[in-house]
Formats: sequence, C-alpha cells, structure tokens
Amino acid sequence: MLKYANVTLVLLTLATASMLYNLEHTTRGEERVIAKATTQMVDTAESIKLLKAEWSSLTRPERIQLLAEQHLGMKQLDADQIITATELPVRLEALTQTEKPKGKGTIEDLMKKMQ
Amino acid sequence: MTMLATKVIDRNRSLQGQNRIRLLGLAYVMFFCIIGAQLIRLTVLEPEEGEAKRIAREADRIPRPDIVDRNGVVLATDVSVASLFADPRKIIDMEEAVELISTALPDVDAKDLRKKLNAPGRAFVWIKRQVSPEERDAVYNLGIPGLAYINERKRVYPQGRLAAHTVGYVDVDTKGIAGIEKYLDNAGAIYTASLAEPGAPLSAPAQLAMDVQVQHVMVDEVSKAITKFKAIAGGGIVMDIHTGEIISLVSLPDFNPNAESKNFGKDQTNRMLSGVYELGSVIKAVTFAMAFDYGTISMNSKYDTRFPLVIGSARINDFHAQRRVLTVPEIFTNSSNIGTAKMALDVGLENHHEFLERVGLLDRLITEVPETARPLLPKRWGKLASATAAFGHGFAVQPLQGLSVVTGILNDGKMVPPTFMMRSVEEADVLAKQIIKPNVSKNMQVLFRLNATDGSASKADVPGYRVGGKTGTAEKVVRGRYSKDNRLSSFIGAFPMDNPRYAILVMLDEPKALPETYGFATAGWNAVPTAGKIIERIAPILGIKPVFTEADRAKLDKLRKAKKG
Repeated sequence: MLKYANVTLVLLTLATASMLYNLEHTTRGEERVIAKATTQMVDTAESIKLLKAEWSSLTRPERIQLLAEQHLGMKQLDADQIITATELPVRLEALTQTEKPKGKGTIEDLMKKMQ
Repeated sequence: MTMLATKVIDRNRSLQGQNRIRLLGLAYVMFFCIIGAQLIRLTVLEPEEGEAKRIAREADRIPRPDIVDRNGVVLATDVSVASLFADPRKIIDMEEAVELISTALPDVDAKDLRKKLNAPGRAFVWIKRQVSPEERDAVYNLGIPGLAYINERKRVYPQGRLAAHTVGYVDVDTKGIAGIEKYLDNAGAIYTASLAEPGAPLSAPAQLAMDVQVQHVMVDEVSKAITKFKAIAGGGIVMDIHTGEIISLVSLPDFNPNAESKNFGKDQTNRMLSGVYELGSVIKAVTFAMAFDYGTISMNSKYDTRFPLVIGSARINDFHAQRRVLTVPEIFTNSSNIGTAKMALDVGLENHHEFLERVGLLDRLITEVPETARPLLPKRWGKLASATAAFGHGFAVQPLQGLSVVTGILNDGKMVPPTFMMRSVEEADVLAKQIIKPNVSKNMQVLFRLNATDGSASKADVPGYRVGGKTGTAEKVVRGRYSKDNRLSSFIGAFPMDNPRYAILVMLDEPKALPETYGFATAGWNAVPTAGKIIERIAPILGIKPVFTEADRAKLDKLRKAKKG
C-alpha cells in the first residue's frame, strides 16, 4: 500500500518537475520577447522624437513663408477676403437646377445601397 | 496495586506520546498551509502594491520635458545623438582607417585626425561628437576595429531663434540657464511631472501659451521695422486679456539657442522682461483709469492746457501743444502732458502712490521666466514726481509690466498676472484682481478706440479689427539727461475694442526719422504702423472675425487703389 503511494508520489514529482521546467523555459522565452519589444519601443519612441523635432524645424513659419512667397506666389491675406459660408452669394446653378439627378451612381443611390 | 498504577501511568505516557506526535503533525500541516497560502498569494493573486513601487523606480530619472507651443509645435526636445570615438591601439591599418573615416565624414579633417590617432599612448580619441544617425551608421559599417560610439542626450531647439527668449537654453550638462528651461529645473519640473499620466514612462511636455505663428509674425514685422527705421532694438508682446497668457514675446536682437558657444551679449537680453524703460505716454492710460476710478474726472471734465504747468523750478510742456481748454477725451487723443499731470495732482499724492501700488507698478513682476527686472522709481515721491509719473516720465518699468496693467484696465478692471504657460479662463478668474471699477474700464475702452479712430494711433486702425491703443514716445536718458534725438517709441493697444480679447505692445528703441515719415520719429509714425501690420496678420490666426463699417470699406478700397497705382 505504502509502496504504491511512494511510486505515485515519485511519478508526481517527476511530472511537476518537467512542468516546472517547461514553464520556466517558456517564461524565459517570453521575457526575451518582452525585452526585445521594449528596446524596439524605446528606439521607436526615440525616432518619433527625432522626426517630430525635424518636422518642427521644417515647418518653421519663417521657412514656410519664404517658400510660399517664392514658389507659390502667395500674398498676405486681406481682412475683407475672410467671409463666412453664409455670406457667399447663392450659386446660379442652385437656382436654375431645381431637379436633382436620379438613377444609378448618384450619392443618394450609393447611400441607399450601403444601408 | 502498584503494578496497576504503573500500567495506568504507562498508558498515560503512550497517550502523551501520541498527542505530542499529533501536535507536531498539526504544526507541520499548518506550516505547509502557510507556505502554500503565501505561494498562492504571491503567484496566482494580483499584486497589491506593484503600482507604487513602479512609480518610485521611475521617479529617480525624470527626463527634461519637451517644451511645446499652445498647438503642440515642438520648441525644445531631447534627442539621442551618437558620438564617435576610437581606440588607436586597436586600429590595425591607420592610413586606411583615416582615409575611410574622412570619406564617410566629409567635415572631418584627415590631417588633423591622423595627427590625433598617431599620438603615442592615447587610448581614447573623439572622432566626431554628436553625429547624425546616418553618419553614425556609415562609420559603423566601415567595420574598422577600435571604432565605437556612445549615445549622448542633446537638447535641440527645432524652431531656432523664434522663441529663444521665452524658451531660454541649457548648458552642456542640460541644466537650465535661462527662460522656461530654467523654470523647469525648479517649480516647473514639479508642475510638468504632475501633468504626466500616472505610470506613463515620460513626463508630459511643458505647454507654453505661445503660438509660434503669431510669434513669427511679430519677429518678421518688428525686424522689418528695425531695418526700416534704423532702430537699435525692438520688441513686442501679445497677451490674452482674459487669461493673462503671453501668446508672443519678441525681443530683437535675439540669439540662436542651438549655437555651440552660448556667450550671448548684453545686447541680446530679453528687453521685454529684463529691461526697464520709461514708457512715456502709454502710462497716461494708467493715470486716466486712476482719475476715473477715484471719481475726480468724468468724460465731460475739462482741463486748461494753455500754459505750461510749473512745479518748483520745473516746467511741464506739451509735445503737440493745443493751447486751449481740452476735454478728457481730447487730452487722451492729443496726449497732453499738462492735462494728464493736472489730473494726477487732482487725485492727490497719496492716492496716486496707492494706485500705482495697487496695479503692481511699484513691485517687481514675477513670472515663470526668471530674468525680470525691478522697476526704477523716483527716489522721493513728491508733487513733481507724481506729476511726471502721470505721463510716464521719471519711472521706468518692464514693458511686460506696462502691458499687463493695460490688460487689467481693459478687462473690466480684472487684472490677471501674466503667464507663459497655458491657462484657462476659470483659472484666470481665480487669480484676477479687481483694480478698477467695471464702468471705468468701459470708459477706457471708449478712449482707446477713439485714439485709434481719431488720435495718434490711427495708423494701427486696421479696417475690420476694431483696434484701440495709446502711443508713447519717450526721450531716453543719455548721460543723465533727456536726449531729444534718442527716443523710445511704443504702442500699447488691444483688439477688437467692442470686446477686448488681445492686447499688443510694440516697442522700437531709437527709431530714426525718414523722408516718408516727414521727418517725424514719434511712435505714431513707426511703432503704430508696425503694430497695425502685425494686427492685420495675427487677427485671423487668433480667430478674430473682421467686421466692416462703410468707412472701413471705403478705406480698404482706397488702400487697394494706392497699391495698384
């Protein structure tokens, strides 16, 4: 009786030992993955920072102004060039074209299909 | 009898022995139970205080936070840069190494490098410090033994000179030397650390109230004005009236914080904060607000400005003498020294002193940027000192301080201490101090607007944006005397005047008269039009909607025709 119990216990010990080994092994593996990911994160964060700094440097207002004036021929905005959408005059098309286009391919048609 | 007795004792003994074993067994079971429970607690159940430990570990290396503007544009950041070095003892073929390095890094002098590497007994030679990632990889891929690199932290200012005076700079050990950088070493570090998400690896960036676009417009226009009027220096500030946020602060000449050697001269100091100036007539706004607040004047009061005001041996004269009796609005628009001085005298010496103290013009202004100057006050507060202080003579303050008082006067009397950091209206309301009655503020708004439509500040009245303002031309003190040729011209204004939102200050140091200004070098001809140009460009950025009257439209048409013709 006691013999069987002992054999069972030994087998149990062996089984747990191998389980423990496996667990340890996978844990080490996971740890390596985490460590690698962490370094990658730090590296990526570092390059994001560098790119942000570069972006900030490239979008310096003085540089943009120079480029806009030299290559796009842009000029300073006059105060009366700023108006709201409601101030816009009614478009001629909207007045004459009362009937909406129907059939396939219109936005309304597409939206119905999506529903 | 005795035998029986011993048997009983024996049985008792064996019973005792069994009990002892049981007790021991129980103790073992309990011991293993405790270990088991502890094992389960530590491995299976969630750790309770892990969070606290993690924070403690990170707190001992808080990196210097980035500095960003109000829209998140990076103004200062830390980047990791590689520095290349060599151990000459490990290099096998010196000639080949030098040749390869100098082709990979064109700006490294081959001759110099050869000399350094061939020096006897050296185990460590810098090849190039702070190289770009591409250069680092290029050299590393050469595969020369004995070459290596280490990563260093470097503070960079991507926007360069743009906000140099506000942001400040750090020394080689990344210790803050000036500006917000210095602030971040002290109280600011705690402030930004408090903004960080708990558990986040980095502290949050320090967000300034500054808008780089507005800042650029200021730099652009003020530097144009300095060139045009041959001024020695200039500057400007834009402030949010409601919150006290400093949207822009410019002081020219400025400096490049990315420069290797940071030996910046006295000429490059922050004039808006560490310089004190007699602001001249712009201070009259303070005197008017005071007289309204004490009730000694109303909009209809009149003052006789026909004769110079004589106090002891001194005579106070007007620059644009009208030689007649002027109403209060006329004194403001004509900038009459005599009228303003009389107003201050009517208020009384003690009340005048008390008012200057109330608005904080007698104390040093404290903001986040540490380099602020103490105001220069008259040594003896008497009748003459009070009368001259009324029109901004005889006492000098930092320009920011002057503007700050004006924001209080125009913001229904609520003065909010200026700040370089972001601040909400609610936070500002807590800090606000009532310096004058709200109805006095309304009067001042009317006077400011009137001065832009009909007075000395008319060249700043950009159509559509309802500008108001006060000009000032002060004679500078040269060798202890007021000089007629060395002037400081300034403009303090606000827009839109129907509900003042932003205050602006523009200052030019020693502008010269030009043929096109008809020989005048007063503020109305230089600082005011500069302010006008700035407002025209920044108002759309700040989201002020233009509103036009018929007169504005006519003015615009005229301007457009003039441009074409």
